[in-house]
Amino acid sequence: MHGPDIQWYMILSAILFTTGALGVMLRRNPLIILLSVEIMLNSANLLLIAFSRLHGREDGQVFAISVMAVAASEVVVGLGLIVAMGRRNVELDVDKLRTLRG
Amino acid sequence: MSAAAWICLLLPLASAVAITLAGTAISRRVAGYVSTLTTMGAFVAAVVAFADMWSKAPVERTATTTSWTWLAAGQYHFGLSLLADPLSLVMMLIVSGVGSLIVAYSVGYMDGEDEERRFFAYMSLFVFSMLLLVEGGNLLLLLAGWGMVGLSSYLLIGYYQERASAIAAAKKAFVMNAFGDATMALALFLLIQHTGALDYLDVFRNAPHHGTVANLIALGLLGGAVAKSAQIPLHTWLPDAMEGPTPVSALIHAATMVTAGVYLIARCHPLFENAWAIQDLAAGLGAATLVMAGLIALVQTDIKRVIAYSTMSQIGYMFVGVGIGAYPNAMFHLMTHAFFKALLFLAAGIAIHALTGEQDIRKLAGVGKLMPFTKIVFLIGSLALVGIFPFAGFFSKDSIIAACLAHGTYGAILWVACIVGAFLTGVYAFRLYFIVFTGEPTPFAREHFHKHHGKEGPVSMLWTVGTLGALSVIGGWLQFSPLWHPFTTWLDPVAAPFTVPSNGQEWLSSAFAIVLGLAGIGVAYLLYSARTVPVPKPVTLLEKKFYWDELYDLLWYRTGDAVARGLYSIVELPLIGGAITAVTGLTGASSRELSIAQNGLVRTYALALAGGVAVLALVFLAAR
Repeated sequence: MHGPDIQWYMILSAILFTTGALGVMLRRNPLIILLSVEIMLNSANLLLIAFSRLHGREDGQVFAISVMAVAASEVVVGLGLIVAMGRRNVELDVDKLRTLRG
Repeated sequence: MSAAAWICLLLPLASAVAITLAGTAISRRVAGYVSTLTTMGAFVAAVVAFADMWSKAPVERTATTTSWTWLAAGQYHFGLSLLADPLSLVMMLIVSGVGSLIVAYSVGYMDGEDEERRFFAYMSLFVFSMLLLVEGGNLLLLLAGWGMVGLSSYLLIGYYQERASAIAAAKKAFVMNAFGDATMALALFLLIQHTGALDYLDVFRNAPHHGTVANLIALGLLGGAVAKSAQIPLHTWLPDAMEGPTPVSALIHAATMVTAGVYLIARCHPLFENAWAIQDLAAGLGAATLVMAGLIALVQTDIKRVIAYSTMSQIGYMFVGVGIGAYPNAMFHLMTHAFFKALLFLAAGIAIHALTGEQDIRKLAGVGKLMPFTKIVFLIGSLALVGIFPFAGFFSKDSIIAACLAHGTYGAILWVACIVGAFLTGVYAFRLYFIVFTGEPTPFAREHFHKHHGKEGPVSMLWTVGTLGALSVIGGWLQFSPLWHPFTTWLDPVAAPFTVPSNGQEWLSSAFAIVLGLAGIGVAYLLYSARTVPVPKPVTLLEKKFYWDELYDLLWYRTGDAVARGLYSIVELPLIGGAITAVTGLTGASSRELSIAQNGLVRTYALALAGGVAVLALVFLAAR
């Protein structure tokens, strides 16, 4: 098997996931939060493909493709919402969008 | 004979079912005719059975037929069996005979009511239930009939269902009768426990002959009899039951159902003879009732209520009769009473019918001048009620009074009560007669009186009343104890008396009863017809009917109400209510605290998610 060992993929995936999680938790702009979520999803994809290659089976790749499909749909909805908010001149700050608070 | 007994029983049931199922397919009048004809058919069947029984020797006159085992529970079997013996046949003849006259009368009386079909279906149901009661071959069937007559009575008292007072009266009658049914059921349980059967002969043979159990059995049966026959202390439902239509009052609350208690004691007399104290109690209650009801009847102003109190009083005589062991005398009075009391009710019904339903004697006053026929039959009924020779009451009532004299010291006390009752009967019966049927008609009576095609009432009402009038005159001649007594002989195989008055006692009692009855009539004449003596102011005690209703109100309603209120404030509010308040308060407070976490910040939620996943991951790792 060529290329780096599985550990490196895992470390990279962990770094990407942490970055994404921190982005979701720390940033206020919904656009950035959406980006961070995508980063988290892709870190998971990376790991799936890495293990798929390690075991020589294609299940993980299939999963990665479905995750991409889900991510794409999610982005469509999320971006649509954000664009709609922008058109209505709503301030793009998640801390201000608290009307659904219990 | 048994076939005739079955036909007699089932014809009225068929009529009730047919009228119910036919619904509006038949006209109201046809429903009345169906009911009348089937009841008459039952009477014919009873006559056939009677003729058949007459031809047999006295000892062979008891016939039981069992069609199938109705109820089997373990070792106990209760057949659906009919008993035809001299006693039940007398009752069958009275119920179906007087019943068919009254149902025929109803065709005219109820004409034009909205729900005549329902009325006639109920009437047929009642006749069936009453026949089941008297024909049932074991005590369980008797109890079934007992409950069903209570039900039909309830339905018919509440027939005018849009009238709140009628519904209240129906409920009152039902509840008080249910009390009697319950004590009777308890007595039957004791009988099953101690004899293992409910067939009359087995029960009478094997029942305990003395001791507490025998007393309890008799007491339970007496409770049922007292409730059904409206004797002290379960009598207050009967006057209220006059809310029903007048034919119902005549059939159920005068002629048949209320006398079922007398039949029960006569039928089960071996059980009562095992418990002499309870039998004496029955006589005592009867004596107390007959005097009390006579006193209350003196001041009532509703024509039907006066007659209802007189019914209570007359059944009191019958209770005295069966209580002292003079069963044939009581049964004979039951029969003549059915004639003249039905006559009084139906005659009153003609007056009520002609005066647009008015029942207040002060408004009805003087109506006799407009209705000569009704006046005459009412006079016949009143004379028979007071027991004036040669009308029916004379023969039957006086023989009960005479039997008291043959019953020792206790009998002497009862005798005095009966004689006082005879005087009171004369006063209240003729107070009613003189007020309503003599003198000048009131403006109300003149204004509202309307003739029915030139007659006092529909033909069906007149001929039935006429027949009952004739029976009230000649019915008593069936038996004149000192000289001839076929009725007693007839009943001898099943209800042999243990108290038989001597001829001297008969003559003495008759003399006293007639003189005092005439004295009562004289008093009523002076007070209400000649009016030479001013009418004394009514005593409040009598107007309030000896405060029985108030007593029961205090005893049951107010006590129950107080207990309920007490439980509400002591148990419900602090315990149940407190527990519920605590649960809701706790839930509310905790959810208020938890809702603080829901601050609407997305990153808080995300952090919670991430933290949760982290904790889960640690747990799984640690658990490996």
